[in-house]
Amino acid sequence: MATAPGITEKYIEETLAHEQTSLWGDAWRRLRRNRLALVSTVFLTLLTLVAIIAQFWTPYSYFTQGLGPIYQGPTAQHWLGLDQSGRDILSRLMLGAQVSLKVGIGTQLVVIVVGVIIGLVAGFYRGFLDTIISTVINIFYGIPDLLVALTLVLLLGRSLAIIIFAIAFTQWMNMARLVRGQTLALREREFVEAARSGGAKASKIIFRHILPNALGPLIVQATIGIPMAILFEAFLSFLGLGVPPPTPSWGAMAADGFHAIRISPHIVLAPAIALSLTLMAFNFLGDGLRDALDPRQKR
Amino acid sequence: MFTRGALLYIGQRLVLIVFTAVAVSSIVFLGVHRLPGDALLNERRPDPAAEAALLHYYHLDLPLPEQYVRYVTGLLHGDLGESYVNRGVQITPLLLREARVSAEVGAAALVFTIGLGVLLGVIAAVRQNTWVDYLATTTSIIGYSMPNFVIASLLFLLFGVALYSWTGGALFYNSGWTGNYGTLDQILVPGFALGFPYASIVARLTRASMLEVIRQDYVRTARAKGLTGRVVIVRHALRNALIPVVTILGPLVIGIVTGSVVIENIFGIPGLGKEFAASILNRDYNIVIGLFTFYAIIIALANLLVDLLYTVIDPRIRY
Repeated sequence: MATAPGITEKYIEETLAHEQTSLWGDAWRRLRRNRLALVSTVFLTLLTLVAIIAQFWTPYSYFTQGLGPIYQGPTAQHWLGLDQSGRDILSRLMLGAQVSLKVGIGTQLVVIVVGVIIGLVAGFYRGFLDTIISTVINIFYGIPDLLVALTLVLLLGRSLAIIIFAIAFTQWMNMARLVRGQTLALREREFVEAARSGGAKASKIIFRHILPNALGPLIVQATIGIPMAILFEAFLSFLGLGVPPPTPSWGAMAADGFHAIRISPHIVLAPAIALSLTLMAFNFLGDGLRDALDPRQKR
Repeated sequence: MFTRGALLYIGQRLVLIVFTAVAVSSIVFLGVHRLPGDALLNERRPDPAAEAALLHYYHLDLPLPEQYVRYVTGLLHGDLGESYVNRGVQITPLLLREARVSAEVGAAALVFTIGLGVLLGVIAAVRQNTWVDYLATTTSIIGYSMPNFVIASLLFLLFGVALYSWTGGALFYNSGWTGNYGTLDQILVPGFALGFPYASIVARLTRASMLEVIRQDYVRTARAKGLTGRVVIVRHALRNALIPVVTILGPLVIGIVTGSVVIENIFGIPGLGKEFAASILNRDYNIVIGLFTFYAIIIALANLLVDLLYTVIDPRIRY
């Protein structure tokens, strides 16, 4: 090179510092351009805030009955009306958000831990272990998941923790299969080969090289898994097997109002709309994240 | 239609289904028998002699291995035993009757799922990146995000309130399934509520695979031959685009079976789904085991049917 080496290097460094963006920075930029995903993020943030606020304050107590005429529609005092026992629906809706979010996120945490471990083991060590794990995964795919979750909840009890466990039990294989596939593909890549020839231990290869590179699809899968878990909890509580009353859950609230849908549809509609919007937001966010984190896949 | 090899393949699969049924019922049988309490003990507690007689009647006094052998022998003869709650009710005929009811609703749901899903998907693909596409795609995400009981309640409001005077109450479901077969208005609304969420999945899949197929050479050739757009889409492109759709038919059947538990309870349809919720709440474990066995067989048969469908859609696939 003709120019003084010191200057060139400094110049290059400065240029790179400006243009280099991390994978996550890139993804964030792409996500922000996706209007639906952005609106969904805002909605979900608000929902989380509502759920947190509900822990400390709700307009009325969620279990006090007879706050006014039962089946009363929305009024100035009770924005979303009263239910069949004269309880304030808005307060119950706010606390219901807690249940839904806890189930959705809690389930995914369990699914991530179980799915990632099983998927990494199957994908990295392959062989006999992989055959067994893959067979188990395929068996689980053939099982009607809601029925298993229903049975588990019935047998083990109706607490929040058991509901989370039961739903995770029917969902872990989605994550395990994804991580297994990612691991199978990543372990053949050059950087893994380089690490291995550098003498890295298996644990270091798995956690420093393979797992971080599988993080994108993993996050997308977890985001898509949240609405599935919330939907499941709604089904369970709709059938009367959700969190025990008087803790409000959207599915149970909808079920309670069903018999009176013609005279006071607001009892069903309020939780139904809240549930649909939440599921929609998570699905849009999941779609947006997929496009943002994996631009190659974008059509 | 079927060669000798294909028949042999079907035979193998049927044998496998029997094994699956035995395996599933064994797992549920053993799982259930580890549990405290059952329908007999939940009820009014009879005096010890009567309780012993009751246990003897259901062979529950035998050691577990013996009970298990009895159960599997019965199962292989198509006998799923007797209900704990309603003594004297044989489970096999009960479930067979209910299965037919569920099949009616399930078939309606499947028609909605596939019909609506493929239609939306094709329209979206053909008009890619126009407002039609966006509308169809957004509809499918919304449909996917709505639990079936929400769709059911919206339909209730639509036909029960908004259009009630106009339709004279037709399609507004008044629960109570009398007679052996449901009438059309007893099937259509539950079928739609059950099928629509899955229609959205089919639509997304159809759109994606349609977009891929449309760009292939043979489709261009068909166009170049001077065939009309509709013939090219329906006869040439759609047929190949449907292969991935057929793949998810198996999971779809599972989804519809699952959803039917909710939908049948909402609409008061006396099918397998309603029985499932009832038997689980009553702890009528014999029926629970029987239902899981039944569902396993239904799902296995559906998967077999899907695999055979491949050969119809794609003649290159042979068994």
